[in-house]
Amino acid sequence: MSDVSSDGILKGVKELSLVHKLSMHLGVFVILIGGWELGSRLGYVNELIMPPPTAIGYRLYEMFFITGSIYWHYFVTMFEAVCGFIIGVSIGLSLAVTSAISPVFRRYWAPYAVVFNVTPGIAVTPFIIAWFGFGWSSKIALAALVCFFPPFINTLTGLLYIDKDATELFRSLGANRKQYFWKLQIPSALPIIIAGLKLAMTGALIGAIVAEFFSASEGVGILMQRFAFRLNMDGSFAALIVMSLMGLSLFTLMEYMDVKVLFWRRHSRMEEVSKKRKAKWSIN
Amino acid sequence: MADEVVIEAKGLTKAFTETVIAVEDAIFQIPKGSFISLVGPSGCGKSTLLRLIAGLIDKTDGNISVRNAEVTGPRKDIGLMFQKAVLLEWRTAIENVLLPNEIRGDVGPEAKQKAWDGLQLVGLKDFEFSFPRQLSGGMQQRVALARLLQTGADIMLLDEPFGALDEFTRERLNVELLRIVDDPEITTIFVTHNITEAIFLADKVFVMTPRPGRIAAMIDINLPKPRTIEMETTPEFNALIKEVRDVLSGHLDGAPL
Ligand SMILES: Nc1ncnc2c1ncn2[C@@H]1O[C@H](COP(=O)(O)OP(=O)(O)OP(=O)(O)O)[C@@H](O)[C@H]1O
Ligand SMILES: [Mg+2]
Repeated sequence: MSDVSSDGILKGVKELSLVHKLSMHLGVFVILIGGWELGSRLGYVNELIMPPPTAIGYRLYEMFFITGSIYWHYFVTMFEAVCGFIIGVSIGLSLAVTSAISPVFRRYWAPYAVVFNVTPGIAVTPFIIAWFGFGWSSKIALAALVCFFPPFINTLTGLLYIDKDATELFRSLGANRKQYFWKLQIPSALPIIIAGLKLAMTGALIGAIVAEFFSASEGVGILMQRFAFRLNMDGSFAALIVMSLMGLSLFTLMEYMDVKVLFWRRHSRMEEVSKKRKAKWSIN
Repeated sequence: MADEVVIEAKGLTKAFTETVIAVEDAIFQIPKGSFISLVGPSGCGKSTLLRLIAGLIDKTDGNISVRNAEVTGPRKDIGLMFQKAVLLEWRTAIENVLLPNEIRGDVGPEAKQKAWDGLQLVGLKDFEFSFPRQLSGGMQQRVALARLLQTGADIMLLDEPFGALDEFTRERLNVELLRIVDDPEITTIFVTHNITEAIFLADKVFVMTPRPGRIAAMIDINLPKPRTIEMETTPEFNALIKEVRDVLSGHLDGAPL
């Protein structure tokens, strides 16, 4: 998973030049899409089940550049997912920190978080709609519910499993609880916390879209469903691609944060930061 | 004077469980400025003894005092070094060295200058802003050594500090370490598995035997100082090695290692 040191996960893949890599990606993409299009044109693929890529492409073009209808839906779903993410992560992190600090809390309250997690979040959707109504808030609530657990469990694990020698070092230096928390526990746990945030981001998007499927008047989820009900397959697929786009942009954001924050896990970043710290150093 | 007692143990005992007695009835006095080597087989209680002195764990029985005060917790005048370097990966070398100051809340120009000088002293010029992952194992231990010096402690408890390194690096670092702690103000306890090394470095060798962890012998090393490699081949030196070995094997006769 992403909490593994990032250097060399892909060691097996030979390093190629950027142009070479891009053309490889493009080649694979063209073969896939071309094969699909050809299959449709030659009548091997039923257009009602799998519309040809050109039709989907046209539909996307229409949504983005002719009617511009997609932008509002895109914004709504993104907003719901991101709000849900922020709320879910805040809850997950607070629970984790409280559990890490207080063994009593951990023992008697944290198990409920686990029960919560093993209950399929999606099955709770009807309740959420009943409690929060048909507007955006129910989508945000479901997104938050679905995504709070990974940050919770990852953060708790990260905060509790601290190197024994490092703990002893801090004790021998006379560190207080606060120093121990901020200078050792949090930085040690950051890699696994960020891995949890990445999972939460995907979860939040799923939560928002599923809640939209249930009942909504705006958002990419309901847009897709409307197309599907009208058997408008190119529209449905176009909406699906928009969802992928959303997922991709959120994921990219998280990756960016990962690279920024966890500089000590990547050699190139370490060199950069090392230079910066050197430039900033002054005796006074 | 040289005879001022810095560390004193009387009947010091630590039992983790009824059967695991890591340290039993330790009695010793360590004078200021002396260098004590602590040898003994794995699991005999060496680290436990150091932790008791450092105030990191509580004793079960007896007394342990430092500068005539009962040890109740970590003290500023005691510095520790472990087999691992235990550096914080997200901090540069110099930031790691400054950790003791940060924890005490006195990161001023003086502390920074001292950290800088410390890194030069342990031979890490030009690596001040490297992160631990950019350094070799030996270099990481040097950072740990600079951090130890930065604490300003004058009692050094060194638990096989270079045990994880290769033979060459270990020997070189030992020489450098010796140069640093060869100071009448600094009292050192040095844990090692290597008998030759233990004798070579010490004023006195404590030999520990396991189950229960006891200090079976305290052997004075009256070889002249400074010590030289040639001394290792003298009859006196060999007699000392034999003496330590005898204590260890006398105990180990028939016992599994
Ligand atoms: N926290 C602990 N809880 C229970 N038993 C412990 C604990 N720490 C050490 N022991 C036991 O105490 C004994 C002495 O351990 P210690 O670590 O002091 O040995 P050591 O001489 O330092 O060994 P080594 O040379 O391998 O480092 C061992 O039997 C060990 O299992
Ligand atoms: Mg040990």
